[in-house]
Amino acid sequence: MKNAANAKHIRKHAGDSPMYRLTVGDHVFNVINILFFTIFTLACLFPFYYLFINTISDNDLVSRGVINFIPRGIHLSNYLSLLNVGDLSTSLIVTAARTFLGTLLMVAASALIGYLVTQKEMWGRSFWYRFILITMYFNAGTIPWFMNMRMLGLTNTFWAYIIPSIVAPYNIILVKTYIESIPAALEESAKIDGAPYLTIFRKIILPLCKPILATIAIFGAVGNWNSFTDSLILMQSEPKLYTLQHRLYIYLNQASNLAALMQSGGQVSEAALKSAMSGKVIKYTIAMVTVIPILCVYPFMQRYFEKGIMLGAVKG
Amino acid sequence: MSQTKAEVRPAHPAEHLYIIMRIAVIAVIVFLFIPALNPARVSGMINPNTSLLTSGISYESLTGEFGRALRKEWVTEDSFRILFGSSIAACIGVCLAAVSGCMSLGNLKFKRRANLFGIGAGALIAAGMGGIYVAYTQIATTSKPDRILPMIPGGFYAMLVLAIVLIVGFAATQFILPKPAPGEKAEIEVKYQLFLMLLPFIALVAVFSYLPLWGWRYAFFDYKVGDTLSMENFVGFKWFTELFKNQATVRDIIRVLRNTLAMSGLGLATSWVPMAFAIFLCEIHSTKFRRFVQTFTTVPNFISWVLVYAIANCIFATDGFISSLMISLGVWDQGVNMLMGAEHTWLKMLAWGLWKGVGWSAIIYISAISGIDQQLYEAATVDGAGRFARMWHITVPSLLPTFFVLLLMSVGNILSNGMDQYLVFENATNTDAIMVLDLYVYKLGIGQGQIPLSTVVGMTKSIVSVVLLFSANALSKKLRGESIM
Repeated sequence: MKNAANAKHIRKHAGDSPMYRLTVGDHVFNVINILFFTIFTLACLFPFYYLFINTISDNDLVSRGVINFIPRGIHLSNYLSLLNVGDLSTSLIVTAARTFLGTLLMVAASALIGYLVTQKEMWGRSFWYRFILITMYFNAGTIPWFMNMRMLGLTNTFWAYIIPSIVAPYNIILVKTYIESIPAALEESAKIDGAPYLTIFRKIILPLCKPILATIAIFGAVGNWNSFTDSLILMQSEPKLYTLQHRLYIYLNQASNLAALMQSGGQVSEAALKSAMSGKVIKYTIAMVTVIPILCVYPFMQRYFEKGIMLGAVKG
Repeated sequence: MSQTKAEVRPAHPAEHLYIIMRIAVIAVIVFLFIPALNPARVSGMINPNTSLLTSGISYESLTGEFGRALRKEWVTEDSFRILFGSSIAACIGVCLAAVSGCMSLGNLKFKRRANLFGIGAGALIAAGMGGIYVAYTQIATTSKPDRILPMIPGGFYAMLVLAIVLIVGFAATQFILPKPAPGEKAEIEVKYQLFLMLLPFIALVAVFSYLPLWGWRYAFFDYKVGDTLSMENFVGFKWFTELFKNQATVRDIIRVLRNTLAMSGLGLATSWVPMAFAIFLCEIHSTKFRRFVQTFTTVPNFISWVLVYAIANCIFATDGFISSLMISLGVWDQGVNMLMGAEHTWLKMLAWGLWKGVGWSAIIYISAISGIDQQLYEAATVDGAGRFARMWHITVPSLLPTFFVLLLMSVGNILSNGMDQYLVFENATNTDAIMVLDLYVYKLGIGQGQIPLSTVVGMTKSIVSVVLLFSANALSKKLRGESIM
C-alpha cells in the first residue's frame, strides 16, 4: 500500500527528468523548499525536545536557564517526585479510566449503531438515523448543556465524562459507510441461515470492521485524554475528578504556589523541595507527563490517523 | 427470522390503544428525570433540584436540608423513610412501565405479557404515590408549617393520573385483545427488534443532545443559580432587549463579536495555507524526507490547547527558551514574557492555530495530490510547462473542490472558534482582544452566574450558526451540485 503510493511519486518525478533539465532556478527552489520544511518541522519538534531536556537535567542548571540544547546532569528524580503529589496521581487515574472506559463504550456503541442503521428492515430507520446525525450540526450552547447536566445530577460525577459521549454521530457515519462497503452477500447468507441479528453483528460484521473501529478508537482515546472543557465546567466542586489537562492548566496558572502544592503531597519536606525543584521544572514535568502518552502512541498509530481524515473526507 | 415477515397478521383495532399507553410510559420516564416534576417533593425544604430518580436513589437528597428540623422533631425520620421507600417503588414502577412499553411492540402473546407488566407498573407507581401521600400527611402535622412548607407538588397529581392511565389502559387491552393461538411463540417482529436495539441510543441522544434545548427557557426568566423557574420570575424578552439597551453589555458584545469575526476571518483568509503546504511538500523528491516532515508536523494537532499553552510557556515565558537564549547571548539583560501584552493578539492566535493545525490539514491535500493522474504532468512537461506552471494549472485545480468544501464548512463555524485556545492564552493584558463569543458565554454564565443573559447569547449564536451552515450548504448545492452535509 505504502509502496504503491511511493511508486506513484517516483514515477511523477522520473517523468520530468529525461526531457527536462534542472535549471539554476530549480535548484534554488529546491533548496528554499527543503529549508522551509526543515525549519517548520523543527519548530514542531523542538518545543517537545526542549521540554524534555529541561525535565531530566540538573535542576539548578535549569533554574539558571542554561539548558537550551543539550541536557546536562541527567536524572529522573523529577518524575519520581511528581508521584508524591496526591492530586496529580488522582487526575492521572481519572483520565486513564475515562480514556479507557469512554473509548471502549463509544467504539462499541458506534459499531452497533452503525450496523443497526444499515438494516433496511428497521422501523423508522432513516428517521432515527437523521435524528442522531442532525445533532452534529446544532447544539443548544454551553450554558443550557451545563444546566441540563446539572438537572440530570451528572455534575461532579465521573459518569458525566462517559455517558454523554457514548453516541458519537460522526463516528457512526464512518462505521456505517464502512459496513456498506462490505459485500452484502456475506450478511445475506447468514440471514438466510436464520442467524439472529446480534450473532451476525458479532460473528461477521465486527471482525470485518476492525480497521475502522481501530481508527475511531484512536481518535476517541486522544479526545478523551485531551479533554479539558468538560472537566472545567462540570466538575466545579469536585477537584478529585479533574482531568490531567485541567490539572496542568491549574498548575500553569499558579506556578508560584507550586512548592506549597508539593508540600501538601507529603513525604517531601518543604526545604528539600525548594532546593530540588523550582516551579518551572514542575510545570515542565507535568506537561511532559501529559504529552508522553500521545508522543508514544503517535508513531504507531499515524496510519490510522491518516485513514481517519481520509474517511472523513468522503463521508458525503 | 426472515420467514416471519411473510405471515403479517392484520392488527386488531384495540392495538391502537397502545399508543396512549406508550405516550404515558414516555411521560413517566420523563417525570423520573425532571426535578420540577418530582412528585416526592412534599416539602418546600427539599432541594428543588432533586428529581424523582435522585429521591429514589439517595436518602440524603431528601433529608439533606432537614438536619435541624429532624433534631427538633418538627418532622420525624419515619416520614422520610416512607417517602424514600415510596420513591423507590415509583422508580421501579417506571422501569417496569418502560419494559412493558417495549414489550407491547411484540406479537399477541408478547402483548398480553406486556399488559401484565404494565398493570404491575401502574400499580407500583400508584402505590408509590400513595406512600408519598402518607408521608405528606405526616409531614403536614408539623409544628412549624411555615418553615417546613408541606405541599403536594403538581407532579404528584400528574404521576397519579399517568399511573391510572397505565392500569386502566393495559387492563382494557388485556380484556379486549383476543387470546393468542395455542402454541404461538412470544416474538417481536424484526423491524421492532431492530428498533428496540437502537432505542437505548436514541434515548441517550434525546437526553444529551435534544434535552438541552429545553434549557433555552432560562433565557425568558429572571433566574439566579439555585432558584426555581416559575411564573413569578418570567420576564419574557427582557434579556433580549437588555442585550441592546444596557450600554456595558452592548460594548462587550461588540468587542467580542469583533474579536470572533476577526479571528475567524483570519482563519478563513489563511485556509489556503495547508493546500500550499501540501503542494510544496510534494515538490520534494525524497520520499523519506516527505514522510519525516509529514509525521512530525502532524504531532501538534494531537495535543490539547492546554499543552500548547504549556509549550508556549516554555518557549516564550520569562524563564523560557527565548529569554534564556537571549540572556546567554548577551542580547537581553533579563527575561521577557512574550505571552503578556496586547499587541498582535489576533495574529499570535492565528500563528498558534497554524502551528497546531497546518500539518494535519495538509494530509487531506497530500493524498488528493497522489490521486492526480500522472499523465497530466507528463503531457504538460512535454508541452514545455515549467514547475510552477504545472503546480498552478494541474495541481491547484485538482485540489480546489476539496478546498471549497472545507472552506464552506468553516463558514458555518464562523461564530464558533471554540473556547479552549482563548481561555488558556487569556491573561489580564490581552483579555480585551482575545475574548471570543464562546469564551464570553462561558465567563458570563459559569464565571459570573448570569445564566439567562449567557443563554440568550449562546442561543442566538446557535441559531445564526445553523442558518449559516444551511446557507453554505445551499450555496454549495447551487454552485457545485453537491451538498456538504
